[in-house]
Amino acid sequence: MKLGPGIRKLLRQPPRARAVERDVDAELAFHLETRVDLLVSRGLTRDAAEAQARREFGDLRAAREELAAIDRGRVGRERRADWREGLVQDIRFATRALARRPSFLAVTVLTLALGIGANAAIFSVVDATLLKPLPYADPDRLVSIWSEGAMMPGIFVQVRDGMRTADPIGGYSGGSAVSMTGASEPARLVQSEVTSRFFDVLGVRAAIGRTFLDGEDQPGRDRIAVLGNALWQQRFGSDPQIVGRSIVVDGVTRIVVGVMPAGFHFPSPKVDFWVPVSLDPSPANIGRYWGSSQLNVIGRLRPGIAVERAEQEAAVLVDRSRSSFPWRMSDEWGKGVRVIPLERKVVGDVGPMLLVLFGSVGVVLLIACVNVANLLLSRAAAREREMAIRASLGAGRARIVRQLLTESVILALLGGVVGLGVAAGGVRALLLLLPQGMPRVTEVGIDARVLVFTMLTALITGVLFGLAPALRASRPTLQAALGATRNAGGTLARRRLSESLVVAQIALGVVLVAGAGLLIKSFWRLHQVDVGFRADEVVAVDIPIPSFSSDTANRARAFFDAVLDDARAIPGVKSAAVASVLPFGGVGSMGSSFASEIEASPTPPGGSAPMLVRTVVSPDYFKTMGIPLVRGRALTAADREGAPPVALVDELTARRLWPNADAIGQRFRPVWMKPWITVVGVVGTVKRDSLSSTGEIAVYMPTTNLAGFWAPTQMSLVLRTTSPLSTLGPRIQSGVARIDRTVPVPQPRLVQTLVANSAARTRFTVVLLATFAGVALSLGAVGIYGVVAYAVARRTREIGVRMALGAKTTDVLGMVLREGGILAGAGVALGIIGALVGSRVLAGFLFGVTPNDPAVFVTVPLLLGLVALGACVIPARRASKVDPVVALRSE
Amino acid sequence: MPQTGDLALLQGTLDVLVLKALMFGARHGYAVASWIRDTSDETLNVEDRALYVALHRLEDRGWVESEWGLSENNRKAKYYELTTRGRAQLRAETTRWTTYAEAVFKVLRAPS
Repeated sequence: MKLGPGIRKLLRQPPRARAVERDVDAELAFHLETRVDLLVSRGLTRDAAEAQARREFGDLRAAREELAAIDRGRVGRERRADWREGLVQDIRFATRALARRPSFLAVTVLTLALGIGANAAIFSVVDATLLKPLPYADPDRLVSIWSEGAMMPGIFVQVRDGMRTADPIGGYSGGSAVSMTGASEPARLVQSEVTSRFFDVLGVRAAIGRTFLDGEDQPGRDRIAVLGNALWQQRFGSDPQIVGRSIVVDGVTRIVVGVMPAGFHFPSPKVDFWVPVSLDPSPANIGRYWGSSQLNVIGRLRPGIAVERAEQEAAVLVDRSRSSFPWRMSDEWGKGVRVIPLERKVVGDVGPMLLVLFGSVGVVLLIACVNVANLLLSRAAAREREMAIRASLGAGRARIVRQLLTESVILALLGGVVGLGVAAGGVRALLLLLPQGMPRVTEVGIDARVLVFTMLTALITGVLFGLAPALRASRPTLQAALGATRNAGGTLARRRLSESLVVAQIALGVVLVAGAGLLIKSFWRLHQVDVGFRADEVVAVDIPIPSFSSDTANRARAFFDAVLDDARAIPGVKSAAVASVLPFGGVGSMGSSFASEIEASPTPPGGSAPMLVRTVVSPDYFKTMGIPLVRGRALTAADREGAPPVALVDELTARRLWPNADAIGQRFRPVWMKPWITVVGVVGTVKRDSLSSTGEIAVYMPTTNLAGFWAPTQMSLVLRTTSPLSTLGPRIQSGVARIDRTVPVPQPRLVQTLVANSAARTRFTVVLLATFAGVALSLGAVGIYGVVAYAVARRTREIGVRMALGAKTTDVLGMVLREGGILAGAGVALGIIGALVGSRVLAGFLFGVTPNDPAVFVTVPLLLGLVALGACVIPARRASKVDPVVALRSE
Repeated sequence: MPQTGDLALLQGTLDVLVLKALMFGARHGYAVASWIRDTSDETLNVEDRALYVALHRLEDRGWVESEWGLSENNRKAKYYELTTRGRAQLRAETTRWTTYAEAVFKVLRAPS
């Protein structure tokens, strides 16, 4: 019997009703139909019967929903239980299958462990530097405020007092070397000068005692210090009573007010302690307050303030402050005010380099995946019958794919676990290899985030290399697999797949090796650069100026004269000199540049004065460093206090400042000084701080001019000698100690090392990328070997037939090599295209090499081609040795 | 849940009745409803909806299993059957109910 329209309408199914709803509806329909039939048979009209049946039933619509809900819960539970059970089965099956082939297991797990581990290690660096938020309260509200690099104290004060969009605002210096004397051994330490609210901006409290209070950067209240945790532990034995004790820094006694917690390393891990910067506007301090002393400025944005608004406000404040300078600034000054998230400032420019490395190591993993996928594919060939039997026993395709994927994911997870070990070792190696001054290195390590990344990578890797082989393997033709021969069916398609995998692998290899090649060539070019001095056999050691309360310049000169006399007396020292700043000497150059006036070409009002970079040197400096004197005279001992002020310039400077005249006899002076300085000689141009720099306007002045406008805190002693550093160090130390035992002397270094260190970041990138390229190359070779060897093994019979029919050994050899050659050629061709595109991201790291350097782009494909062919030679020779009789019998 | 008939059904009572109805073999929902109605001489007038909800709940708890089959009138119908656990549950519930009912009787018939 049919139901009336009323009930039918109620039971009408929504489109695509689920099985559960359909079942409930069918069950209820049966009940109602049976009841209606019975009632009709008892003499009711159909309408009356339907009405009664529905009345007896109750709320039909509600019942439907209630029943469906109960069933859905049950069905879902059952399905999940089934799935779990299936998974447990799959895992059990997969482990058994893997355990049966221990060598396959070992090769794949190790390949993956290398790939995943290398990725995890690089990720730990990327994460610590680029991804993790800064370890301060509300780090996204922290900004760096700057104009032309850093701010003079005079401008800082106006910005600090005027900013409405950020509060608090603080300033800090990057860190300078100072001498700590007192009870224990004198030591050379790094201090950062900070304004009173510096710590408040970051929102960091002291671990012991306190940080600085508002106003403690004012003269008279600033004789205090906050210690870094490491310094407190090492020099003060973690003394819990440290607060209130006094320390002596560069002859100034300061009271310790606090100790920072262990993880605090701002602005850099090199900083040992912090002291208030003296914001002293008095006329005696005018050069520092308005010029040479520069502060990096940080601020905490008020909630809801955008970086752009803060930048606008800062720009207005800086522009307004121009009139408060004691001398006229150029019209361009203060135009480049920028406010950027502090994170970006901290990370600096290492981002692109790290991302290139991260990308490259990802490519290595991809290549490793391809190898494992190929191994799985050839394994699938052996298991074709197993799969066919499973399929014929009723296992659906999805079920088989899942089972195979379970296997590959287990492989990958094992790879991930072993990879964690690789990563731990890798991170340790990276920390040794990382160039100095990498931001946030102290935060690099294997933590929960790296752990999650590793296991996720492993999981994705497992699906990535497992999916294609699994899909392939789950689709064998039944008769091919169950029948005796193995030559038909899925084999051809599978071969195609593994061949295209190998092509992809070689292409990726070409991209990596080409990238590495470009960087290696840049690195080599950097080493070819003429630095302008002979760095070999020159030893340098930074010697601080002893602290004197008055008459510093004269006493400093006497001190260094004594140090030089002592140094010259060291056996094996050919010449000795001191200089305020060494080329490639790093931080010491702070404040050594000054705005100047050139007599021959006065700066027009509102124009920008030329900035000169000055090096104060003793007379023998040029001889010691091997810098040639081109014209005029060198400095002599007669250029002393009282003699007319003189200077040397380098050739580049001579050309730039006096393009149409002889530089000798020309005069210049710092903008705030009266006496003119006369150029008496021209020397060769030297690279100052990086091999790729084009050079600044450099002047050399005798130590006489020390008193004029600059008080150096240290001088570098340079010695030309072949004596080893190990004997020189103690000798110099004892010599200096005899002159003044409060002066700490660090270990001497080779100037050559300083030069090499300047290319440390390039070296780091080159070493890593070359390693990755090497791994990619060998994985690629193994990959193409595997595929060709498998092809040969599979065609043993065919080769036997050919040889029986008269083919020569060389023919067979040629045939196999040709096949390998086609794969290699396709891969190399694709790789060149990829490398041409990919090398553009390297443009910023290259020096003296274009991203599509012809030499690299010819050599690399040739190399890859040779390696690939080399990998084919072994299977080719095996093929050529096939014995026709044995081959024909083998099947 | 249980609705009022001539006699209000106590919570959980319906479950026992349904289990009992299935004691003699697999039955579809309509048969369970008819059996309860007829056996109780129509004293227990259970709403069909409540009965079905009870059946599905019992299945959800694993006390009964269902399977589609053909009915006497040759239609597709869903048959319910007791599981081993369902049988045990029925025994336990029967004992509990009998004890309870006897106790209540004892109290009601006690001489004052």
